[in-house]
Amino acid sequence: MAQTIIRIQTKLMKEYYQYFSKYAKGKQQECKVAWITAFAPVEILETLGIACYYPESYAAVIAASGMEQPLLSKSEESDLSRDCCSYSCCMQGCLELEEGPRGVPPKPDLLIATNNQCNTLPNWWNILAHRYKVPLIVIDYPGDGADRDAAYNYVTAQHRDLIMELEKLTGNKLSMDRLAELVANSRNSVNAWKSVISHIKEKEIVPTGLFDDISFLITARCRPETAEMYTMLEEEYSSKPMADRTLIPLFWLGYPLWYHSDRYLSTILEGCRIAGSNYITWWNIDYAGQNLFECLFNAYNYTFLNLSQKTRNERLGELICDSGAKAAVTLRNKSCKCDFVSAKNIYIPQVEIDMDMIDRTILDEKAAMTRIDLIKETICSGWE
Amino acid sequence: MNILSMSGFIPEHICDTVRFTQYSGERNIASYCGYASDFISQVMGDKNIDGAVYPKSCDSSRIIGSYLDTCGKFLHQINVPAGTGPDAVLFFAEEIKRYQTQIEKHYHTAINNIGDRIALLNRRNRKICDLYDNLDTLDYLEYIENIHRNLKRPLCEQDMGDSLRRGHGTGKRVFVTGSFLSGIEIAGIIEDRGLKIVGDNLPESGRLCSLPETKVTGDMYCNISENIMGRRLSPTQDHFNRILEADIEEIKRKEIKGVIMVIQKYCEPYEYLYSIYKDRLETQNIPVLKISLLHSEDVQKTNLQIEAFADII
Repeated sequence: MAQTIIRIQTKLMKEYYQYFSKYAKGKQQECKVAWITAFAPVEILETLGIACYYPESYAAVIAASGMEQPLLSKSEESDLSRDCCSYSCCMQGCLELEEGPRGVPPKPDLLIATNNQCNTLPNWWNILAHRYKVPLIVIDYPGDGADRDAAYNYVTAQHRDLIMELEKLTGNKLSMDRLAELVANSRNSVNAWKSVISHIKEKEIVPTGLFDDISFLITARCRPETAEMYTMLEEEYSSKPMADRTLIPLFWLGYPLWYHSDRYLSTILEGCRIAGSNYITWWNIDYAGQNLFECLFNAYNYTFLNLSQKTRNERLGELICDSGAKAAVTLRNKSCKCDFVSAKNIYIPQVEIDMDMIDRTILDEKAAMTRIDLIKETICSGWE
Repeated sequence: MNILSMSGFIPEHICDTVRFTQYSGERNIASYCGYASDFISQVMGDKNIDGAVYPKSCDSSRIIGSYLDTCGKFLHQINVPAGTGPDAVLFFAEEIKRYQTQIEKHYHTAINNIGDRIALLNRRNRKICDLYDNLDTLDYLEYIENIHRNLKRPLCEQDMGDSLRRGHGTGKRVFVTGSFLSGIEIAGIIEDRGLKIVGDNLPESGRLCSLPETKVTGDMYCNISENIMGRRLSPTQDHFNRILEADIEEIKRKEIKGVIMVIQKYCEPYEYLYSIYKDRLETQNIPVLKISLLHSEDVQKTNLQIEAFADII
């Protein structure tokens, strides 16, 4: 069974990376290419036969391969401040030097950015537009702060405009049946993924695999193989032994450390286990709706980082409660202000750690260890 | 009501607010815009302030409410559209209505003088335009101080004055761009170093007077929205090319020798804009200086930077 999961993952990755410069050997993609942000309405693009690439995900791959530092330095030399989001700095360096573990992604014909996770991404996409001199479309999602009807009309108008622009660019006509199929695929992928991650609270599972496997929900959520693969993964996880109850259950609140071989502070969390994480739920978007435009609106307007503090508190509270975690490792990510405040109102002890998901120099591991030891002591003093 | 407001996207047409300029706050939020952090400090610490209104336009402003949610004061965030097309204008008009409704509900008041306020704003903005058109001959520090002073007052008490001090019009001509010029002394430092500010793209000046008139006939909310959305763009509106085109047109027309971008550290919209702004202007032999401030009162280190820049141009 494990072989089958790997086979599907390999197929999806092979298809995704085949036109990156390291493998393409000069071969050009026949369809139009878009670089998009991780919460863009990819179903519309894929229905129109556009190949989509995700620079944020590739920055994570670069860090995982240990190549990020020279690229971050190169980015700074090209006048992009290191204070900016490290995903963007890492990619800026990659594009400047044309270097990366898989080379560089195929050149875009258009760029699509959304602001439903942060406002930084559309800014970053503006510098990509300057580099490649291709059209940039920014889709604005107001979130749950605005009046619902006004937001629905506004977002739907933008989705309709997007379709019109993409039909012009590709010469293809959008098939609503095909769009419905892809939205259904995405919904299935999300549901299957929810089942996968449900096991982290009680089974013997390290989060590394989950942090890595979520990438398919980002880059291939509307592919039918993704739900298929996650269903098999869920079966595999369900047969895992129960977690060691003597370990302290912790909630990992924030991004994975992409540069770390385990993606989390495994070496300094001895005696603990990760029983929950909010990052692995971020793409659990809800495609509910009476029609396709409403499905897309609900999915992309109400992403976790686009919600008000009150709604976030409620969602996070439920997640933490469900995980049974006794404390949280709360990560203050230099690159993501929108996630700074995710843990503002949680009612379990927290150890706060300054870090960056790409730039390993931000984390003071010794200080983190001291803080974690302290919280372990606090919990153990009241622990069975 | 005494509402502290941040940004030129807050519609002054609806009610009086006190425009945030600078404040000595705690400034302890790591990797976060010092200007936004000082705004938070003033809302929390200033007993004269009973509410806050701020935009959702950048990552720092988008989470302001999370820091303020227990302060017990009136809080309102306005969604600023990324686009500027007709749908964005309609959506922003709805946001302006929502803002009015929230104020009326919280302060138990009825707002029914928007038409009068539009007339007053049009008159004030025309006056700022007149002054802006004569920046060559004015003392820029006094000009911008005058604007800041007025933006903190009720609209009916605002008076841009007719007799601003004449400046030294012979310096090397420079253009200033960036976020709200909270460290206002920088303007004086620039002109004292033999430079003359003859244009800007600042929210409270060049951008404000780029579209001074709000229409008074038809749907008032759409008119207000059109007016704010139609102004020279902020980088938070995600059209860097249009910003560059407008700025470069003015820079060329006014024969400007250098550009000074004054921004807050951790202000990502301007950091990203700077990376291409510098590239575009330097290909036209116009040097760009970036001054990055730590908080709303910071002017340290600017002396030397400006002096060196003055030598270059």
